[in-house]
Amino acid sequence: MTSTPFKLTRRGFTAVGALAAGGILVPSASARPRITFPRLAQDTPKAGGTMIYGLSTDPSNFEPHVSTGAASTSVKLMCYSTLLTYNADNELIGDLAEEFGWIDDTTYQLKIREGVTFHDGSSLTVDDVIFSLERIRNPDTAATNASYFNEVTDIKAGDGNTVNLTFNRPFAAFSFILANTNSYILSQAWIESGVDPKVEMMGTGPFIFKERVPGVSITLEKNPNYFLEGLPYLDGITYQPMPDDTTRMTALRSGSVDFADYVPYTQMDIITNDPNLTFASDSISGFGWVGFNHEMDPVSDVNVRLAFAHGMNRETMVTTAFAGHGAPITGGLIPEGMLGYAPDLEGTFAGDYEKAKSLLDTAGHNPLDIDMVSTSTYSVIQRPAEAAQAELENAGINAKLELQEWLTFRQTVLDGTFPTHSWGTAIDYGDPDFLWNYMHSTGNMAKQFRFNNPDMDALLEQGRFETDEALRDEIYQEVQVKAAEVVPWVYSIRRTQGEAMQNFVMGYTHLPSWNPITMREIWLDK
Amino acid sequence: MIQFITRRMITLVGQVLLVATIVFLMLRLVPGDPARSVLGETASEEQIATMRHKLGIDRPVWEQYVDWLGNAVRGDLGTSIISGRDISSDIASRFGNSAELIVISVVLSLIIAIPLGTIAALKRNQFIDVALSSIAMLGLSLPGFVVGTVLVLLFGLKWRILPQSRFVEFGDDPMAHIKLLILPSITLAIGNAAVILRMMRSSMLEVLRQDYVRTARAKGLNEARVVRAHTLRNAINPVVSLVGLEVATLLGGMVIVEQIFNWPGLSTLLMSGVISRDYPVVQGVVLVIAIVTIIVNVIVDITYALLDPRIRLT
Repeated sequence: MTSTPFKLTRRGFTAVGALAAGGILVPSASARPRITFPRLAQDTPKAGGTMIYGLSTDPSNFEPHVSTGAASTSVKLMCYSTLLTYNADNELIGDLAEEFGWIDDTTYQLKIREGVTFHDGSSLTVDDVIFSLERIRNPDTAATNASYFNEVTDIKAGDGNTVNLTFNRPFAAFSFILANTNSYILSQAWIESGVDPKVEMMGTGPFIFKERVPGVSITLEKNPNYFLEGLPYLDGITYQPMPDDTTRMTALRSGSVDFADYVPYTQMDIITNDPNLTFASDSISGFGWVGFNHEMDPVSDVNVRLAFAHGMNRETMVTTAFAGHGAPITGGLIPEGMLGYAPDLEGTFAGDYEKAKSLLDTAGHNPLDIDMVSTSTYSVIQRPAEAAQAELENAGINAKLELQEWLTFRQTVLDGTFPTHSWGTAIDYGDPDFLWNYMHSTGNMAKQFRFNNPDMDALLEQGRFETDEALRDEIYQEVQVKAAEVVPWVYSIRRTQGEAMQNFVMGYTHLPSWNPITMREIWLDK
Repeated sequence: MIQFITRRMITLVGQVLLVATIVFLMLRLVPGDPARSVLGETASEEQIATMRHKLGIDRPVWEQYVDWLGNAVRGDLGTSIISGRDISSDIASRFGNSAELIVISVVLSLIIAIPLGTIAALKRNQFIDVALSSIAMLGLSLPGFVVGTVLVLLFGLKWRILPQSRFVEFGDDPMAHIKLLILPSITLAIGNAAVILRMMRSSMLEVLRQDYVRTARAKGLNEARVVRAHTLRNAINPVVSLVGLEVATLLGGMVIVEQIFNWPGLSTLLMSGVISRDYPVVQGVVLVIAIVTIIVNVIVDITYALLDPRIRLT
């Protein structure tokens, strides 16, 4: 059991040195990921002022337990709180939980902070926490994090304002699930009063939801009773949805907004070179891949999949797709600094066209004409798809790329009508267990790949249910070595993603976990 | 006239029903699951099935159709699958914004295009005609997103005369609202004015060749009166028809302009509904657009009759 402020300091974490609990820490020089922090405030933070936030998407809704995208997360996280969260060093700390951790192999205990009130003035109780966790587990909620509670057999109140979760087996990454932005704690009375949480928000967060005018603005006001003394500094945040990238960046550059999320790669150099602005980003979490339908020929042949893996020069792809704003993935997907990082794998897939051709020869498919599907809805997916197509041509793979609208594309991949696809997303949380989703036969993405490998399943299960961090480190390195052999999918490049703000916006830190919790520490130096 | 309007209103019901049915069925033929849109990319098949049941989209299509139509007839367009918001109120607020932008941009384009089109026709093949026709061609060739983006960069960023800012209702801050209205209106008006100018020019040229114009001139009427009394009024009918079509097209088709200028109109609501397969939103918006389109066409027909007494509305 640890106490606030925490790093998660269990034995295993120290065994892997600088990994710490946040999972993703300092980027490697070789992979060239980049975390850019805004200037650190030199002066005492000033209270007051309303920040205007240019939001890349008008949030579809505010349902607290279903992911509705990064833009709505930055709104919801300011109104709700999670049990755990991250500090500015990306280390896991308690938020509504004062203390947290495993008290034995199958019991995870949370000591709930006392004196916390909801925006309606009611007190946070252990029952609210249990209700919220049960709501996530309830299939009717269709919560994003529901599957992570599969091993939970019981949730009940313990002594002294604690909540105990009983597991069938220990789930090593569970703390990250509680820090995830879809694990908010809600007021049981409020939910049961019949409100629609898609439309309204009421939590224990640093800001109180005041008003939403669809397509125009979302207004939050300071929560004067926030449980962290002195926070927030701002009187309020006004979010203005600006889905057009040029409009949003122009509004920022002209001073109409103070802060803007999702800086498109086409504007990164402009923003970086603007003396009035600060760009905070990472090149770690967002990544792209070429995926397969393992049940279709010829990609059911591992030699063909390996040809894809070797047939792309990732350095070139970063330039082609994102004008250099990203990083190649030439080894395993787990980035340096996260548990399970495999340094020995670096350079394995540096791009070797001849090797790819030779593998195609072995498979009897040189040259290879193949269909590939991707989406035209998001440029961060379309651009790497086009870059992959261009690269693969050098290796004798002529991918006929079809671009579809987003949900059509999703349906196509689900139906498995194309042998290959090109897609991209972000690392779900800072523990290598995130690979389960893509490589374990029960993982939602693995199912779409039609990938099923008993050895890989066994390794991922060992990793998930092992408590010794040093052992887990070894297991996940092995997972990636195995992945390099059987090629469930081919990850290609990481993309730079970040936010930009006026220089007078202080106190914000971009976290590579993409958790925007440090927004509660923002103050305006003007 | 009243008979005409009554008959058109009766046929309106049939036409709207047809449009609503087609849209309802076509939406369900489009690949992509609204439940997947609600739940995100990592949702399991079990969660998708649960959500489909919650949303009621696992029921037979005819059952969904009957339910939706029954409610729509009573004025209830339902709630959005994605946002959970009442669709009628969302459409109402967006419709006002779109209508305002359309009316102002159309009026602006008429103010520009009718005199210039007339001048181009009167100065046929002279320098001014060639110049105006070239400018009109440029206006036609430049897509709205180029014009809009250039205007934002120039007026919003370089000169900072009209910076991008939060949308405000006219009632809350009239000056701020008018400032917000300027650039999108100009962007829309440029394209419209180009089309109307060319139509006006060709229509005028057609009328100027008519015998009665020659007769008017032979009677010794001065050119200004010939143009005003005998030519312009007869040449303007095709323009009225064109404006009617433009209004209907713009209502659901100015998504790019709405996005660039952050204008919360009907097009962006429709577009987000289509992208997220928010069936009730798309059905509701299309229904409204269909009704407005038909009404606008009736107004165009009536305007014809007012402009040209030879036309009888029967």
